[in-house]
Amino acid sequence: MIDPLVSDSINILRKRSLAEGGFANTDNGDYRTDATAWAILALSACGLDPEIISRARSRLATGQLPDGRVSISPYHPAVYWPTPLAILAWSQSPSNQDSLARAVDFLLDHSGMCLPKQAKSPDASDSTLKGWPWVAGTYSWIDPTALGIIALKVTGHSNHPRIAEATRLLLNRQLPHGGWNYGNIIVFNKELRPMPENTGMALDALKSLTARSNLELSLDYLKIVVRNLRTPIALSWGILGLGAWGERPAAAATWLSECWGRQARFGGYDTASLSLFILACRLSGGIESLYRLAP
Amino acid sequence: MGFTRREFLGACIGGAILAASGLFLWRKFLRSTWQAQTFIAKVPGYQADIATVICEGLAHLGISPQEIKGKRILLKPNLVETNPASIHINTHPLVVRGAVEAFLKFGASRVMVAEGPGHCRDTLRVLEESGLGEVLWEDRIPFIDLNYQDAYSMPNVGKFSSLTSLTFPAILRQVDLIVSLAKLKTHHWAGITLSMKNLFGFMPGLYYGWPKNVLHYAGIEEAILDITATLRPHLAIVDGIVGMEGDGPIMGDPKPAGVLVMGRNLPAVDATCARVMKINPYRVGYLKRAEFVLGTINEADIVQVGEPIAAVATEFTLLNYIPSQKSLRMGFWGKFI
Repeated sequence: MIDPLVSDSINILRKRSLAEGGFANTDNGDYRTDATAWAILALSACGLDPEIISRARSRLATGQLPDGRVSISPYHPAVYWPTPLAILAWSQSPSNQDSLARAVDFLLDHSGMCLPKQAKSPDASDSTLKGWPWVAGTYSWIDPTALGIIALKVTGHSNHPRIAEATRLLLNRQLPHGGWNYGNIIVFNKELRPMPENTGMALDALKSLTARSNLELSLDYLKIVVRNLRTPIALSWGILGLGAWGERPAAAATWLSECWGRQARFGGYDTASLSLFILACRLSGGIESLYRLAP
Repeated sequence: MGFTRREFLGACIGGAILAASGLFLWRKFLRSTWQAQTFIAKVPGYQADIATVICEGLAHLGISPQEIKGKRILLKPNLVETNPASIHINTHPLVVRGAVEAFLKFGASRVMVAEGPGHCRDTLRVLEESGLGEVLWEDRIPFIDLNYQDAYSMPNVGKFSSLTSLTFPAILRQVDLIVSLAKLKTHHWAGITLSMKNLFGFMPGLYYGWPKNVLHYAGIEEAILDITATLRPHLAIVDGIVGMEGDGPIMGDPKPAGVLVMGRNLPAVDATCARVMKINPYRVGYLKRAEFVLGTINEADIVQVGEPIAAVATEFTLLNYIPSQKSLRMGFWGKFI
């Protein structure tokens, strides 16, 4: 049975699905890669609209570049952070296995820029570790690296050396007092502050890759902060991240309901946020639990 | 037949005089081309009537209601991260409210607030936690999340960096006036962050990342200059009521400077703000490079209205272990080098 909030959310997504396949991020908007991938995951989590999902997957595939990357737009080929999202969107689709394989190969062959260790660097993070960047030719950051890990785990690459190194990167960028932000830890001898959305994403990615004892401070941070979150991206990732470690808050449904109500203030949520919201409503664990749901 | 020693010396002296005259006249020409005006107001605290202060500033800068009437205004505050009780990180919500009220009083048809935070993926969370959300909802001010909008690209006009194009959110094609509503802060990479560095928030995270690492790789100074040159904002208002000193733009300490600084020319505004902070604008890399290209930073060429700098200048703490902050201090020769 579908929760009424999820049902309302799905109806909004359906209105944003495009005749030629894929989804816009807002009402009457244009096709967007990231919105499309997220919407596919959300509808899949509900077991709905197989035809819309199929057309959306095909639309993602038509935008895929020859080297396997999936960029935010055809005019921005270097902006390839949506590639792991596309992998997740294609993962349960027999007819998109070629696209899936090429995207996986692309992720395995590409990484963020690495810099040699500098003894006097003001930034305490280990710049030699490979993760994934937002944009080609730039540094590795938490969100694209976490999404890359999740995508490769879902496609059976949990033991790949790239996942091992990306795991080390995430652990290296974990703040000493717990949590993650976008990817810096200590700059000019000051520890920076964590943020719930990045913490949730990192925790979700690290499920089964590291001992829980390495993450207790981050779990503690998120368990406290999530109580006051009512915005879709932070709350959803907070719930998914905790859920991945068996700590889905008992009050999650109440908070999600309040988050839904905040649209009276914020205006309607965009497709990506709404899709994440649906996933947080539907999944008891993290993103990977989507792939363990009964078809 | 050749030159005598006397003739040779005479020719050299004459040439030197000609060259110096040419340089003097050229700089005089450049200065007259690049003169700008900035306005400084003393504002004791955020409970002051900020809208009236901004209205006065607009009037002093020669911006009349006729110029604003019917226009669509976009205000871009500096919203980086949030921390409880840290009002010195972000443009204060009451400054945003004051600016909205001021432009509406001047007859703007629509005033919107927009931001694309560079560190936080969840813009709505930043709105809520910063207190700005409450002000926007109370006053029914529309907010645009610049990080997630559909976007357009255009050639990089500045060409200071190797970026061939810049991508901006679509909303910028639907407004008439762009206002950089910045915060008066030090910065651990750029030295200072004022109205020009604030423009980083226009670059959508969807295309530039969180943080906007593409711009860092292109060179922070170069990116600041390129965005300013390409976007051409119309006005800057800098919240220095409580600024930040030390390890800015997030981890520094509050510094009550008690000022709002305004102007149409962003390099001139930033240079004035630097002087208020007792920082030599000529030692700030992006400002020095902006001179005669994007505006003027020479105090002699900036018509200062409102409070004089001397009446409000206050030394912002600079940290010797932060390379970008070394040697920024205004010294005796500060006006000249």
